Amino acid sequence: MGKMERFPFVVLVAGLLFFLFADFISWALPIFVLKDIPMKKVSDLAAEAKAKNTSAWADFERIAMYYPEQFKKYYGEVNEKSFEKALRIGHHWYVAEGCWNCHSQMIRPVSNETLRFGIPGVSNTVSYPSEYQNELQAPVLWGTKRIGPDLIREAAVHNVDWQVAHLYDPQTTSPGSNMPGYPWYFEKDKNGNIVPNERGIGLLTYIMWLGSWEVKPTKEWALK
Amino acid sequence: MAAATTTAGEVQLTNLVNYTLVKLHVAMGLIFFIIVGLMGFLYSLQLDGIYPFPGIEFLSPGRVRMIHTAGAAYGFLVNMFTGLLYWAVPRFTGYKVFDEKYLGGFMFIGLQAAVLITVVAILFLGQADNVEWGETPWWLDPIIVAWLLLHAVQFGTPILKASQKAPLYVTGWYVSAMLVWTPLVVFMGNFIPRFWSAGSGAGAVQSTFIHDLVGLYVTPVAWGLMYYFVPVIMKKPMWSHGLSLLGFWGLAFFYPMNGVHHFLWSPIPMFAQYSAVFATVAIEFAVTSVLINFMMTLRGSAEVLKYNVPLRYMYTGAIFYWITCFQCAFHVTLTFQKVIHFTDWVTGHAHLIMFGTFGMWVLGMAEYVWPRLFGKETMYSKGMSEGAYWLLTIGVIAMFVDLTAAGLVQGFDWIGLNPWIDSVNFSKPFWYFRSVAGIMMLTGLLMYAMNFYKTATAGKGLEAQLRNA
Repeated sequence: MGKMERFPFVVLVAGLLFFLFADFISWALPIFVLKDIPMKKVSDLAAEAKAKNTSAWADFERIAMYYPEQFKKYYGEVNEKSFEKALRIGHHWYVAEGCWNCHSQMIRPVSNETLRFGIPGVSNTVSYPSEYQNELQAPVLWGTKRIGPDLIREAAVHNVDWQVAHLYDPQTTSPGSNMPGYPWYFEKDKNGNIVPNERGIGLLTYIMWLGSWEVKPTKEWALK
Repeated sequence: MAAATTTAGEVQLTNLVNYTLVKLHVAMGLIFFIIVGLMGFLYSLQLDGIYPFPGIEFLSPGRVRMIHTAGAAYGFLVNMFTGLLYWAVPRFTGYKVFDEKYLGGFMFIGLQAAVLITVVAILFLGQADNVEWGETPWWLDPIIVAWLLLHAVQFGTPILKASQKAPLYVTGWYVSAMLVWTPLVVFMGNFIPRFWSAGSGAGAVQSTFIHDLVGLYVTPVAWGLMYYFVPVIMKKPMWSHGLSLLGFWGLAFFYPMNGVHHFLWSPIPMFAQYSAVFATVAIEFAVTSVLINFMMTLRGSAEVLKYNVPLRYMYTGAIFYWITCFQCAFHVTLTFQKVIHFTDWVTGHAHLIMFGTFGMWVLGMAEYVWPRLFGKETMYSKGMSEGAYWLLTIGVIAMFVDLTAAGLVQGFDWIGLNPWIDSVNFSKPFWYFRSVAGIMMLTGLLMYAMNFYKTATAGKGLEAQLRNA
């Protein structure tokens, strides 16, 4: 008994040994199990979006078409590089505003969550490990609280126009919502119209990217 | 209680403790507590649909909320704990801390600077991390780890010295384990998920951090201090030394494994989730053994709680602790988790543990220590002490019950697949009530802080008056 009450014993056994054992189970083993899933960088995600012509890519072009002056000013041309830049900026401000405090990014296989947050008409869209294995989920944005809905399949749920209105004044699109407005993602152009600024375009791109890997682009949208 | 706490005479003990450091840390902790309380209240107003600062970027609710959590952990609890450790560690070991003047001063300034930089970075620079309790920007995290290593040197030295002469008292086990855990936990939680791993594997690490900052810094320090202050105030030893050992080693073995229970039903491999569920249920037994020890220590002298407000804070917090852990053992089961995860139930749980338990404990301990730091016999006003205690206790119970109920309403509403906005509307009455509970807690805190201020500044005449009264 006496030994268990000494500093070196406590530090080595309780402090190091037990801690490392716990970490081995809840950290090293899961990483080992998941090791075959490739880890993607943001540039890979951008390249993939363009190559597969996902809805995120189409929405990125749409944003460039809606707000040509803003887009040209902050992002230049529609290409993989500017898409990557927009994703990075959008993700940065999504984290900085604490969006993840109220909007989770994980659909659990319980409580009919796939029906509520999944892609309309597609029954099985539970979150799976490989969709998180990328730079934008380091650290993961699963969240621990939902006040607003889950966003991991947001690309399938609302379009860009809706997102713009929602971001500027949430009550216009979702009456009764208690989300605050984010007017600092917008500025006035020459004609006095309210248009997204650099951060706004980034955030819109990021939100419309969420779940786009599961969504087929609509047929009527022709790429130039 | 082990001999170390009581062998040296009172005069010798007072020379061991640097009063200025205790005063500074406790005062700053209290100031930050009020600030983060206000921040929490601001955030709760947003849930009620009231926006005090619409369109002001740096006071956006999402950012204010991060100050609430990060500030509660680093500004309030770390400050309070450090202050109380400066009081307790030299007293139960019989040795001074490593260096009071330079290291102590440096650590004090460093901590306040780290908290203020975090506030500026999150509110004005948009530099938050999306790790709960770890919202400090990533470029500040190495400095925090370095601070924690200094912390380990400062408090590890006297504990090591004492340990070479005799077996350590319980507080010593908890504190020495904490000194190793905390730098490891902070390093693990802030660097691995960001730089060396991503996705589900990183999620497992992150959840371990969410749990272990509370589990492996806050819990061991708080239990350690409880093991020091309760016997000192009651002037009798703990009921069972064997149970102390059982509680400590149970906590040390099972607690670090608990983390993944924050992300049940997630893409994290299932064996990690099961191990977390198992460990969380097991921890309940360790906690209950500790609680039995404290309750049996109280046996025969329960009437002390009537007169002694600090002790009452501690035992109230202990009961809240048992409720939280009991609740924990249930809601980490996969069945419960279906309903209550992502709801306000979790928020209620977090408030009961951080405010109800650890908050109440440090407030009690600080109230015991504070008059002694200024050479007074009692706090300035007994009425204010009592008033603050009741406001805080009733406030936190109200918030806990309210948020737990709100969590159930939300969870079952979501399962019912009603339109999303329904769950927001149904929650509104609960959120209004939560703001009211928040006002109660804030009022209690302000009353408590006022009492502290008056105790520190009131003249000797008043002290004499109190003695005569």
